[in-house]
Amino acid sequence: MDALRLVDAAFPDQPIVVNVGAAIREMVAAVGSKPNHLHILDSMGLPPAIGLGLSLGLAESRFEKVVAIEGDGGLLMGLSVLSTIGMLAPEKLVLIVLDNGTYGSTGGQPTASDSTDFAGVARACKMVANDVDSAEGLRGALNEARAIEEPVLIRVRIGPKTEKAPYFLEDPAVLADTFRRFLRDGPARA
Amino acid sequence: MAEPDERSRAIIDGIEAIDPRYVLHLPSSTLVDIIDHVQARPNTRAFPIPREEEGVGILAGLELAGARALAIIQDNGVGNLLTALTTFPMAYHIPQFYIVSRRGGLGEYNSMIHVICEKVEPVLDAANVRYFSLDGRVPIEDWPATVTKAYEYSRITHRPVMLLCNLMGG
Repeated sequence: MDALRLVDAAFPDQPIVVNVGAAIREMVAAVGSKPNHLHILDSMGLPPAIGLGLSLGLAESRFEKVVAIEGDGGLLMGLSVLSTIGMLAPEKLVLIVLDNGTYGSTGGQPTASDSTDFAGVARACKMVANDVDSAEGLRGALNEARAIEEPVLIRVRIGPKTEKAPYFLEDPAVLADTFRRFLRDGPARA
Repeated sequence: MAEPDERSRAIIDGIEAIDPRYVLHLPSSTLVDIIDHVQARPNTRAFPIPREEEGVGILAGLELAGARALAIIQDNGVGNLLTALTTFPMAYHIPQFYIVSRRGGLGEYNSMIHVICEKVEPVLDAANVRYFSLDGRVPIEDWPATVTKAYEYSRITHRPVMLLCNLMGG
C-alpha cells in the first residue's frame, strides 16, 4: 500500500491505470476512488496495453504522463507489450510493476518473477528502466520518470503481504465514464 | 460475385471514410492489401500487435483518450481476445471496431483453420459480441457504407462491434 500511495502522490492529477484485485482495493483504501484512476477490475495483464493506448491517444494532450500499474504476474501474462511499447515509444508512458513474486489477488501462488529481469527486458525493448526495492528508491525513480521523455518501466520489489481492504464493487461502466470525464474536463496542470 | 481484390478495395473505401488516426493489425494473408493501404496512409499510425488481447487493451486506451482507431484481425484469433473483450471494453461500455477477415469455407486453402473459423459466429453469439457480416450475399457496392455504419454503431451502442468480412470468395 505504501508503494501505491507514493505513485498517487507523484502523479496526483495524471491518468493512472490501476491493476486488478488487491492493488485496486489497497489504492482505494489508501487514497479513495479518484477520477483520474481507471480501476481495471478483472482484466489481468491488460493495464500496460491500456496505458499504452492512452499514452498514444493523449500524446498531444495537457497531461504530462500516463501511468499504468501492473503486477509481476499480470505483466508475465502479456510480456510482449514491452516490445510494442518499445516500438511505438510513447513519451508519456510510465509503467510501474509491483513485483511481490506472487499472484497476490488469488491466494499468493508463485510467479516466475524471481528469474525474470523485468528491467532488463524493458531496456532490451528500448524502454528506460529502473529497479527499486525501497520507498526512497521508488520516490527517486518516480521523480526521474517525470522528466524523461521516453517510455519508462519501474520495477518495484514489494513484500507479498497485502492489506485487508473491502471489495471494490463499483459498476465498471461508471468507472469508465468517470475516467473519460476526467480526461475531458479534469484538473490536470496545463 | 465480387473478386477478392474488389472486396479489399471496398473495405479500404470504408476505412477511408472512417479516417482513423490509429490502426492496429495482426498478420493475415487475406488482409495484405488492406494492411498495406493503412500502413501507407497519411495521418494514420498503423502498427502491428503481437496478440489480439493486447490489441483490445491498446484500442480501449485509444478510445478512452478520444482517438479514432480500429483494429484489423483474422477470425482464427477471436478466441484469443474474448476474455479481454468481455471483461474490459464490453463491461466498461467502451466502443471498439474490429475488421475481421473470415477464413474457412469456400476458397480456403488451409486444411486446419476451419476448425475454429467455422465456429466464430456461434462463439461470438455465446459471448454476446455484436457483429455484422460482409460476404458474397451482400452487393459489393454496399460494402464501404457497411464498414462505416458498423464503426458508427460501435459508438452509438458504446460497445465493441466486429465486421466479419469474407475476402476469399465465399
